[in-house]
Amino acid sequence: MGNVSGNTYGLTILSPIIEDNSLEICHSMELRWYLSRLPRDQGSPFAQLSSTYLARLVVMDDVVFVGLPACEEHLKSRYLVFETNFDGDLDTYLRRMATETREFVDAVWGHCAGFPGTGDVGAFVSYMKKCQVETTFFFADVNDGSVESTLEALRTQSELAHFMEKHQGTPAAELQREFGRFLERLRKTPSLPRGGDGSQDIPQERRPHD
Amino acid sequence: MTNINGKAYAMNAITPMKPWKTPILKLIFFILGAWKAKQKDLKNLSFIHFARWVCIRRTEFPRLSDQQPAEDLRYDYLLFFSNFNGTWNQYIDAFSAVLYQGLDLIWRWSERYPGSRPVTGFKRYISLVQFDTDYYYNVYPYSATNDVKAALRVRDALERFAGTSQSLSTAEFEKAWLEFQIAVAPDLGSTGIAPVGT
Repeated sequence: MGNVSGNTYGLTILSPIIEDNSLEICHSMELRWYLSRLPRDQGSPFAQLSSTYLARLVVMDDVVFVGLPACEEHLKSRYLVFETNFDGDLDTYLRRMATETREFVDAVWGHCAGFPGTGDVGAFVSYMKKCQVETTFFFADVNDGSVESTLEALRTQSELAHFMEKHQGTPAAELQREFGRFLERLRKTPSLPRGGDGSQDIPQERRPHD
Repeated sequence: MTNINGKAYAMNAITPMKPWKTPILKLIFFILGAWKAKQKDLKNLSFIHFARWVCIRRTEFPRLSDQQPAEDLRYDYLLFFSNFNGTWNQYIDAFSAVLYQGLDLIWRWSERYPGSRPVTGFKRYISLVQFDTDYYYNVYPYSATNDVKAALRVRDALERFAGTSQSLSTAEFEKAWLEFQIAVAPDLGSTGIAPVGT
């Protein structure tokens, strides 16, 4: 199946946006305003959807005219493109969207034609599947893990680098004891925040060398 | 810029295709999907987290209500979405330099595709068919694809070392620790914000 690579699912959704000429501000513009103000770091709704690696929302205004001798043509609706890459299965992901990020989903897909709301989770899942387009070819460079295990690995890498730097030249007996303590600490250290912490600092360099 | 979040760039592109060409392209993708060795160059580039191509038939644009006008299109469309590290220019240059045969195999079915070489015409075409991202989320904004791969290797190496080092004498631990450090050192580069580029 084109949507899946290893443990990773590549979901592509095209939701037609409501066209209503009687409105002063059209739905696609309202949607763009909302998306422009949505947090992109650990405050993002996708950080709540913990199995999301990377996701995007795009208002597609029209198709592209590439020049003569090709024909010029236009879409009759604008479409909201939702492209997301996550670990796990589709139904669980969509159900979590409807239950864990309800406000966000209503605010975004409320601008789309036929959206049933999130009150009826089954209806929402069915709606999203009607909007889904099959991925023809999906490439995932790392596809055999999960978001959580990847964040854990990144944290481990950072902590180990810090430990090695700090213990350069430490006598072997002391180093062996410290290494045991390091492993214990590592097990208790929380994962990196999903979506980053919103700062532009480099995490390792922000931490004082204790 | 909303196309960028941390070290990742979100590219979207759409190109028209004559409907009779779509089955040919789907067959090519089917072969590419089944023949893993053919994906080696893409993996070796190691700066794409995820990428996808979607062939959408002119009759397949979702229609969810009677109020929504039905589309009336002459072309099928090829959608391309990529999540890559580095700048737009680096990405296109690398594609043109390393994957030009693969690119041409995929996009030659699209209207007015000029070929991936020379790269100037290719960049002009991509600029024409690309559209911007309104919202982009990245779970690990400070990490490139190579950082993720390196971190996974470090974690696996540490798990192995932790498992075997517990019963070692001090002298044995000292030797094993040195070997472990040498083994993981190439994968311990720090993650952080990306350099500024175009």
